[in-house]
Amino acid sequence: MVNSRWKKYWQVLTSNNIGLFGLILLVIFLLIAILAPILAPFDPTDRVGAPFTKPNGQFLLGTNDVGQDILSELLYGTRISLLIGVIAAFISILLGCLVGIVSGYYGGKVDAFLMRLVDLVLVIPFLPLMILLAAFIGPSFWNIVLVISLISWASPARVIRSQVLTLKTKGYVEAAKSIGTNIKVILARHILPGVIPIALSQFVLAASHSILIEASLSFLGLGDPFTKSWGTILYYAQARGAFLTDAWIWWVLPPGLLITTLVIGFAFTGYSLEEILNPRLRKER
Amino acid sequence: MGKFITGKLLQYFIVIFLMLTLNFLLPRLMPGNPLVFLAGEDVGFMSSAEKDAILDKYGLNDSILEQYGTYIKNIFTGDFGYSYQQKRPISELLMERLPWTMLLTGLGLVLSTVIGVMFGAISAWRRGTNTDANLLTVFMFLSAMPSFWVGMILVSIFSAQLGWLPVFGAESAWSNYTGMDRFIDIGKHLILPLATLILISVTSTFMIMRYSMLNVLGEDYIMMAKAKGVKEKVIKYKHAMRNALLPVATVFMLSLGFTLGGATVIETVFAYPGVGRLMFESVLSRDYPLIQATFLIITFSVVIANFLADLIYPLLDPKVGSRNG
Repeated sequence: MVNSRWKKYWQVLTSNNIGLFGLILLVIFLLIAILAPILAPFDPTDRVGAPFTKPNGQFLLGTNDVGQDILSELLYGTRISLLIGVIAAFISILLGCLVGIVSGYYGGKVDAFLMRLVDLVLVIPFLPLMILLAAFIGPSFWNIVLVISLISWASPARVIRSQVLTLKTKGYVEAAKSIGTNIKVILARHILPGVIPIALSQFVLAASHSILIEASLSFLGLGDPFTKSWGTILYYAQARGAFLTDAWIWWVLPPGLLITTLVIGFAFTGYSLEEILNPRLRKER
Repeated sequence: MGKFITGKLLQYFIVIFLMLTLNFLLPRLMPGNPLVFLAGEDVGFMSSAEKDAILDKYGLNDSILEQYGTYIKNIFTGDFGYSYQQKRPISELLMERLPWTMLLTGLGLVLSTVIGVMFGAISAWRRGTNTDANLLTVFMFLSAMPSFWVGMILVSIFSAQLGWLPVFGAESAWSNYTGMDRFIDIGKHLILPLATLILISVTSTFMIMRYSMLNVLGEDYIMMAKAKGVKEKVIKYKHAMRNALLPVATVFMLSLGFTLGGATVIETVFAYPGVGRLMFESVLSRDYPLIQATFLIITFSVVIANFLADLIYPLLDPKVGSRNG
């Protein structure tokens, strides 16, 4: 039964143009990330040309301020941006699920307390808080992941809570409860299967946010100094004033376009997943 | 109504209390010498007398509770500490920068709300048409672009390539403009950062307005008005838009934090002398007390603005107002 449900989701997702487009974008980026060593003409950390070389046959997008090939940097950067986005989103959705399920299932004081907490977190201006935390705990891959996921669990938690509330009133859950089924069994067999699809769409949307946040943090010089993401490339382009010269076309434009396309890939997939899971949004004509 | 406000007020107090505590604990919990976090990395060059003076000023030799008490007292008397890098009291720096941020984010919020509401209403009114689909696509793309990158591209095109607008700052240095000239100069410097801020924050308003307007358009009274032969314009503006605006007010509150955060990055791109730029400068120079103070002032602003919006909200929504008498 579960299998056929997923098959149905898959069919709706691929029959929906926007969803299909988003999915294709994600697959392309995944391939670029995996195949970066094959696709990239140079090692992005090697100084292979003269600094500030304009695009030519050898360096398709020119070189940066220390003579590294920008195209290779971009291809390898896909790995960092994708990885940080996905891991941070995964952790925040895990936290969000935990809070949402506990809150929705137990209700009462636990629920009131947890939802207050969510409200609190949502009021805090998150980017400045991240800057503060990142500045204190230092820039590194895992610190960035940690900082992003600590702040982004709140709104998924709320969405998942409301899903659990709906599930709780379903006949089969009440029936299971009334015959004294173990709570673990109820959660695992009746609540989780209903939560996972919503969590998936929330995860995809969270990934798109995380990628944007990572880019901002890296741009402010708070990214991991050893792994260059697209945001880091833009940080150096800004620091060297590339956007005031002709170099903006090959040094500033491409990283931003890549970030935008990747975020769009996640967002389109996420929105159409949401549409599938929320039949009220589907085809209301 | 009273209960609603009291609950909110309590919530905001907790937020401020938590953020103050976090700020207090960060420099003290991090491994390494807390002096570095309090006085900057120049600590290594200080004489032991100077170090003692700082230890004394922050009461680092007192118990942790006493330190906390002093810290809270200082914040509420407007003493945010001293920036050892800029050699000035932090409150002075903040006062200098705050007006610019308020100008930028205030205008940005108002304009992006107006624009988002307008396009959201158009999109909903023409749902299912090409106009609707195109608007949706454009706004989705806008929200997917990194804010700083939008700023960099705008500067590249309009300042560096075309030379129409100034590259950075809030006004021309050493110009001594007065009156109208200064006003125009400030305006010219404001255009690009403002445009960037609007471009990145307009989508949330657009989405909410569109969604809310779609709901309203499905209501019976709209059908009724149409059946009665009320003019399209009257239905659109008087019946639909007015009622659809309510959720926008909620988003307006929530987007405050987002806009201020976005302003931090945008101010950095344009070297706009606001609080956000100050935060970036303090990150660059690892001026920890200043990083903390800028964070606090941004949090305070968000909380105060949220609270003001809460006060105004019942005036807009009779349901909230009458709920608790």
